[in-house]
Amino acid sequence: MASKRLGRTQDPTILVLTSLSGGPKHGYAVIKDIESMSGVSFGPGTLYGVLARLEEEGMIEPLPAQGPRRPYRITATGAAALRERLEVTVKVADVAFKRLGALGA
Amino acid sequence: MTRAFAVEAALRCYPTWWQVRYGDEVRSVADDLGTEGRTAKRLAFDLVRGAIRVRTGPQGMPKVYRLWAKRTRLSIAVATLPWMLGAPFVVMAMGSSSLHSLGGKVIYDGFTPVGSRLQLLPTSGHYPLNHSGFPPLAPPLTVAGSIAACAVLGIAVLFFVTLIVLAIGWSRLTTGIRHSSSSQRRNVMLLAWAPGFALLADIGVFVTQTLVRPSVYRLSTGAPAVPLNGNPAAAHALGVVLAIVAIVGWLVSILCVAAAAKQAEIAPSDLRFGRTVSTTVAALFALLVAAYTMWGIGLIMQARQAARGTFTTITYSSQGLWLPMILLLFVLVALSALGARAAVRSWKVISLELI
Repeated sequence: MASKRLGRTQDPTILVLTSLSGGPKHGYAVIKDIESMSGVSFGPGTLYGVLARLEEEGMIEPLPAQGPRRPYRITATGAAALRERLEVTVKVADVAFKRLGALGA
Repeated sequence: MTRAFAVEAALRCYPTWWQVRYGDEVRSVADDLGTEGRTAKRLAFDLVRGAIRVRTGPQGMPKVYRLWAKRTRLSIAVATLPWMLGAPFVVMAMGSSSLHSLGGKVIYDGFTPVGSRLQLLPTSGHYPLNHSGFPPLAPPLTVAGSIAACAVLGIAVLFFVTLIVLAIGWSRLTTGIRHSSSSQRRNVMLLAWAPGFALLADIGVFVTQTLVRPSVYRLSTGAPAVPLNGNPAAAHALGVVLAIVAIVGWLVSILCVAAAAKQAEIAPSDLRFGRTVSTTVAALFALLVAAYTMWGIGLIMQARQAARGTFTTITYSSQGLWLPMILLLFVLVALSALGARAAVRSWKVISLELI
């Protein structure tokens, strides 16, 4: 795939926030959701690194544990940050598609 | 390697607070991923990588003074201990210098060959004088050789300056431990004093060796000198013991000071001082390694310059160790810089949010 040569473009933080924007999920459910929407498979070390950071920054919050599993949900701050970031991404994507169209690619 | 064993081993790489907070959740996720076919090796690798990230950047660490103070102390230890591990090797790895030219061995009359009068060493027991009545001058050092010689001077200065900075930091650490209210104060103080005990042991063995070493010899032509006092065998054995005590004592001291830094409950002002010491040591260590790099490159360049004309060249007895040493030192400097950066950041969190 030619896009592989561009390197890693999916930011784990965005992927996790996007996953949680669909409703509260525990770690394994987040991993499966991200896998199905982007094809990226996280390990537990990567996922909990992101979850810990997002929790510290107040973008997500933990819900009461269900056995060893603890669901997380996105907060208003997290949703606003995700929206802001996605708007930039969409803007860049629009420009990129227009320019590619002009190139005939 | 079973999955459970690999995950448990990898989880142990994380700080305690992280294991308490996320341990069960991670075990559960790893178990689910393992059941669907993810290998133990892949899970462990990802967890260890995550542990390194958590150790180097404390995302999610609760804002509790005790945790951040411990992190600052460990960061200070990580910033300063690589110097203790690497710098003595730098000094030893250079060895002694000697100067040579086409006319033979060269001697100098100053502190360093740079700026000193370079003279040819007599080979027949007397100085061959030139027409002005002076011993013949040797050709000048190459520019690269001069740079190498200057680098040695720089390394010596940086070594002793860092030693002084560390001694001041260590003194502050022991004072901080003395004033702490921890029940472990005495044990921590003993650990912090390990370098002192190691030095005393070195001095003790050295003095004993000096006492038993022969000082009076009977000399006779064509025969080896015969000691008339002392115990040569014991002196030789003590020489070996001295080397072992020095190396083992030095390594044990490093471990003990690291353990003391981890456990010492010192005041915030001492932590701030420790942060300053750690950044200073990391910067001086980087300069020392830069000087050592310059020394090695100077010696390599010198051979090329010397081949193009008549020059005096400078060689060091252990210059062959330069390349392996420089690789090791780059790793140690990087570690020291990471430690200093972590100490600065941790102290920032303490000073802005926790005190």
